[in-house]
Amino acid sequence: MKAPRDPAALARVGGLLLATVVLWPLAVIGEFRPWVLFEAQNLRVMGGFLGGFLPPASGGEFLAYLGQATIETLAMASAGIALAFVVAVPLAVATTQALSISRLGPGPGRRRGELLRAGLRILLVVLRGIPELVWALLFVRVLGLGPAAGVLALGLTYGGMLAKVYAEILESGDQRPARALLEAGGSRLQALCYGLLPGVAQELTSYTVYRWECAVRASVVMGFVGAGGLGQLMDQSMKMLNGGEAASILLTFLALVLAADALSAFFRRQLGEAGTAGHAAALGPLPLAILASLGGAVLASFAWLDLGLGALLSRAAAASIADFFASFWPLDLSAGWLWKVGQGALETLAISVLGTLLATVCALLLALPASGRHGALLEQATRFVLNALRSVPELVWATLMALAAGLGPFAGILALALHTSGVLGRLFAEALQNAPATPRDALLEAGTPAGVAFLYGSLPTVTPQLLAYALYRWEMNIRMAAILGFVGAGGLGQLLYVELSLFHQAQASTVIAAMLLLSVAVDAASASLRRRLG
Amino acid sequence: MFRFSRRLALKGALVCALAISVVPSATAAEPVLRVSAIPDEAPTELQRKFAPLGKYLEKELAMKVSFVPVSDYAAVVEALASDKLDLAWLGGFTFVQASIRTRGAATPLVQRAEDARFTSKFITADDNIKTLADTRGKVFAFGSPSSTSGHLMPRYFLIQGGINADKDFKNVAFSGAHDATVAFVAAGKADAGVLNASVWEKLVDQNKVDPKVRVIATTPPYFDYNWTVRGGLDPELVRKIAAAFLKLDPANPEHAEILALQRASRFIPTSKENYQGIEQAAKAAGLLK
Repeated sequence: MKAPRDPAALARVGGLLLATVVLWPLAVIGEFRPWVLFEAQNLRVMGGFLGGFLPPASGGEFLAYLGQATIETLAMASAGIALAFVVAVPLAVATTQALSISRLGPGPGRRRGELLRAGLRILLVVLRGIPELVWALLFVRVLGLGPAAGVLALGLTYGGMLAKVYAEILESGDQRPARALLEAGGSRLQALCYGLLPGVAQELTSYTVYRWECAVRASVVMGFVGAGGLGQLMDQSMKMLNGGEAASILLTFLALVLAADALSAFFRRQLGEAGTAGHAAALGPLPLAILASLGGAVLASFAWLDLGLGALLSRAAAASIADFFASFWPLDLSAGWLWKVGQGALETLAISVLGTLLATVCALLLALPASGRHGALLEQATRFVLNALRSVPELVWATLMALAAGLGPFAGILALALHTSGVLGRLFAEALQNAPATPRDALLEAGTPAGVAFLYGSLPTVTPQLLAYALYRWEMNIRMAAILGFVGAGGLGQLLYVELSLFHQAQASTVIAAMLLLSVAVDAASASLRRRLG
Repeated sequence: MFRFSRRLALKGALVCALAISVVPSATAAEPVLRVSAIPDEAPTELQRKFAPLGKYLEKELAMKVSFVPVSDYAAVVEALASDKLDLAWLGGFTFVQASIRTRGAATPLVQRAEDARFTSKFITADDNIKTLADTRGKVFAFGSPSSTSGHLMPRYFLIQGGINADKDFKNVAFSGAHDATVAFVAAGKADAGVLNASVWEKLVDQNKVDPKVRVIATTPPYFDYNWTVRGGLDPELVRKIAAAFLKLDPANPEHAEILALQRASRFIPTSKENYQGIEQAAKAAGLLK
């Protein structure tokens, strides 16, 4: 009897070949050489540094610095989100299709409305596409060092992100009330307040709180470019290879990120419950208390940071800022420089692809125990590992990996892989837990071994979701890969850092443009791949 | 009712926040001399070095002196150009950048006697590296990209010795500061590196250098650091600042402490012309366009 042929053989071999053809050059560009991790010299360097971790630094003076930096980090995140909110609301209202009067039908000013909306959408892409650390680096130059630069950077990038998501949330709700109001001659503001907000307010608030949590993680690293907070301490300790101090700061990161996580999850749960309880009872005392405390926190943050943003409003300051940004024009488009930037861009792309891919594989392996398949003890242990992996920012992983693997893009790949494994591992575990059990149970009852039952019963049902998560992370990782070079981990970052240090603004703006193009291209590629997954 | 009060709460919070940030601080009336330095060493070290000098300047100038710590070279240049700083300790290359950025308004006042004949040391902890030529194909650490003695002049002298830093090294790292370069090399994060001779000697004196790390080459001498004032500062104040520095006398024990921390035998007047050599080197090395 002839063995049955695999009907999908051709597609599988083809896919494998294609993957190799794409990944091989990327691996070469990214200097993907795992064995260097085990070279004697690198082991000695890393061992020496990790040996210094114990005991963590606990001197009084250092702890005082650490405490102050922690508060500064939290204040920066809160003030940044408040600023982002102020930036995002008008932009979201202006760009959302849900409040478009021109969509109601032909009328005067229709073309103008469409043009304005397209222009604002491009502005949003620029705000989001340039990583917040690059904004921070630019603002540090204009405003001087300190948290003001970090707050403005967060305000702009997160303002762009919030505006986009707010606009999408407004569009995802029930459009009919707003439309009815607009058609009956109501203003856009009225349609927003009475037609749209009642339906989506809870989702908007929930997303804003989630972004605050992300902002805490982002402000942790702002200091790497001189914008204050914990990052600045970390940068110094890592540069001086002071293991004890680095260990204390890492522990603080872990505590801070986990606390922000828990707080944000708690707020969102409360808001969620309030939302499902129906509109009349929507405002219980607890959500009100939460919102009041958030307002208080924002106030306290601005007071603590003493930003002096008022100074920005003077004519002289505005002129000097305009001068500074004008000096970035025109871009250096000479062939020699474009070649160099192109090489950096390829390296950045390689770091993001390989880092994400490696993370997807590790995350899947870690998600198996974390989803509780191998007992509660192992579940708790892996979850702790995942939390630890994800609470250390990519930039900090990169400084550590530069010791373990030497300076260069491979350190960047490892850094992205470690952090992303933590993020994806948690999401994958949740997806596995929520997967329908019946196909697997059917296989198990038919006598299939557990491993095979997982491969054919559970995995196929969650694969599209897992891949979608991985693609989303890739979009974030391309932005991160672009800046890992600030700490010597390859890609466009080092080019940008050096050119800005040398006041080569024209060259720097070419690099920033390349970062923007890369992130737009990856967003498009990822969106099209996700659409294909269905 | 609920939406209304929540929006009101958010609005109120934002208005208050903006109000706080806009109200100018009340301390602006008293004249303050704002001083900073390029962060070529760890910021804590810079503050320690400046403390007695700051007190001395306060006494001599009869005005408050505040030290603004900074962790980015270029930010010092921008701050001088936008009148956020009055006096700054600059490297030779940062001075050239500041001079260009302020269209010649930034003026160098004084420098240490040692800055007129400054050098950099090439170091390694690798037994196989014996001369500069052996550093080809290795990982090499500079200090900050904006540093004169940690990047520009070593890069310039490497080119003259036939080594192009962009092509001939396996990888170039920027440690950010001179003391960090020593840490990079001692730990093996970089195979070789370069830093300024003054910081190297200080670290050796303080026994802070790993015994494996040794010097393989020294650059020819060049002009480096100076104290620069921004353009538009009161000429009388500028004269007093320069006089205060020049008056420092190693025979006076109080002054001797200040000079020792600055690693200076004494201060001497300096002028823009001294830094033309640096400008040419920067152009030759492609760091200045």
